[in-house]
Amino acid sequence: MAGFLSLLRRVYLSLYNWTVCFGWMQVLYFAVKTLKESSYENVYDGVEKPLLLAQTAAVLEIFHGLIGLVRSPVTATLPQIGSRLYVTWGVLYSFPETRTHFLVSSLVISWAITEIIRYSFFGVKEVFGSAPSWLQWLRYSTFLMLYPTGITSEVGLIYIALAYIMSSEKYCLRMPNKLNFSFDYYYGALAILGIYVPGSPHMYSYMLGQRKKVLSRSKKD
Amino acid sequence: MKVSVVTRSGKELLKGGIDLNDSATVADLQEAIHKKTKKFYPSRQRLTLPVQPGSKAKPTVLNSKKSLKEYSDGNSNTITVVFKDLGTQVSYRTLFFFEYLGPLVIYPIFHYLPVYRYFGYKEERVMHPVQTYACYYWCFHYFKRIMETFFVHRFSHATSPLSNVFRNCMYYWSFGAFIAYYVNHPLYTPVSDLQWKIGFGFGLLCQLSNFYCHILLKNLRSPDGNGGYQIPRGFLFNIVTCANYTTEIYQWVGFNIATQTVAGYIFAVVAAGIMTNWALAKHRRLKKLFDGKDGKPKYPRRWVILPPFL
Repeated sequence: MAGFLSLLRRVYLSLYNWTVCFGWMQVLYFAVKTLKESSYENVYDGVEKPLLLAQTAAVLEIFHGLIGLVRSPVTATLPQIGSRLYVTWGVLYSFPETRTHFLVSSLVISWAITEIIRYSFFGVKEVFGSAPSWLQWLRYSTFLMLYPTGITSEVGLIYIALAYIMSSEKYCLRMPNKLNFSFDYYYGALAILGIYVPGSPHMYSYMLGQRKKVLSRSKKD
Repeated sequence: MKVSVVTRSGKELLKGGIDLNDSATVADLQEAIHKKTKKFYPSRQRLTLPVQPGSKAKPTVLNSKKSLKEYSDGNSNTITVVFKDLGTQVSYRTLFFFEYLGPLVIYPIFHYLPVYRYFGYKEERVMHPVQTYACYYWCFHYFKRIMETFFVHRFSHATSPLSNVFRNCMYYWSFGAFIAYYVNHPLYTPVSDLQWKIGFGFGLLCQLSNFYCHILLKNLRSPDGNGGYQIPRGFLFNIVTCANYTTEIYQWVGFNIATQTVAGYIFAVVAAGIMTNWALAKHRRLKKLFDGKDGKPKYPRRWVILPPFL
């Protein structure tokens, strides 16, 4: 029974990782194709479907961590995936004015490369039990470059969206109402920008620590 | 007996160690460390026995009432203890006072002063009776807590690090402002007369019960603060282990039934969560301590904190 369950877990995680990896490959392919054939202004329209699907599928990862299917701690996955979901749904999807900016290109390309490497790394590990060292090196090294470009694009896009958020009043709840509550999406966005200030260096140093741990361990073996 | 005191990085805190007589207690050692270092008074010190390097075991914390001999394997005349500075300490009375002072001051500011002008509401505000009663209810609650801190609660000698004062004040003060902002808002929507009267009535009943619970808890502890654990009995304690938390949570429910704000309900849920953690720990401790063996009484079957759920 235990053997069957662990087999089921491996099959499921392999399918999950390769499916999402394929989604991000599509994102990268369409992004590059759009850039070559037309211009950066159309990148979002080119990648929208696979981007929304692949990024939303990451919610399952938080869930996997919560039920103990994978070892990664929720405290590490939640802020990372949460901020990505916010930019995808809460900024790009909700405020179409932001979609034509060139930062969308750097954003989706940074995300896509990171995720293709990450999901294929986990995918190979689930299927074969271990991953080749070059893939592991890529998994724990590309972030050095792609984290800064990705985060800069995220912060830049939120900043650009601020003006549209303020004028549209979308997702705002105003008094009076029976719940005696109010919510201003504009201040919510400002608060999220504020979290990026300590959050980004924290996540970067967390990944640096992971890199040191994993790469030094594999050297010893 | 020769005591060598090292820091967690392995360096010697006091050059040459300390010589104490053989009957010395851990408290004597702490006094001696204080005398030599000047800075580290006893409640700032955490003394443990050294652990084997690489071992994941938790280090044994020295109990200040015990004799040093008990920790030194009996035969040897030397002992090494590991010292950790816990930082500046304050008494629980000080901590509680500052926690509760914030909400007591902040809430009336929102009620009586024209602060909403700065949030863009220029018109004159007309207060609904429920808002005025809410202000009285709120102030009574925190006034009661401060009075209890000084005249009812018996504290053990335990202290709290200064950083907890900042953390806890952030929690109480910001939640106080958050709730006060919505209840005193110019565009506040009151509930029906019947509902707010029931809410405040129920809440007040819970506050009075809570006060009685605190008196009962006080009488469990001996005046010198060294009482140790007792089985709480009497009034609601015959049904619930932490009746003091139960009544505290339910009085917030009463306040929220009357005022109906999302902010207030969020606070109630967070507070209930925190108190539930404490209650579970206390219930477990009491059940373990009063296991019914060796002539000890057996802890009776009771709810933990939130009857009829937990």
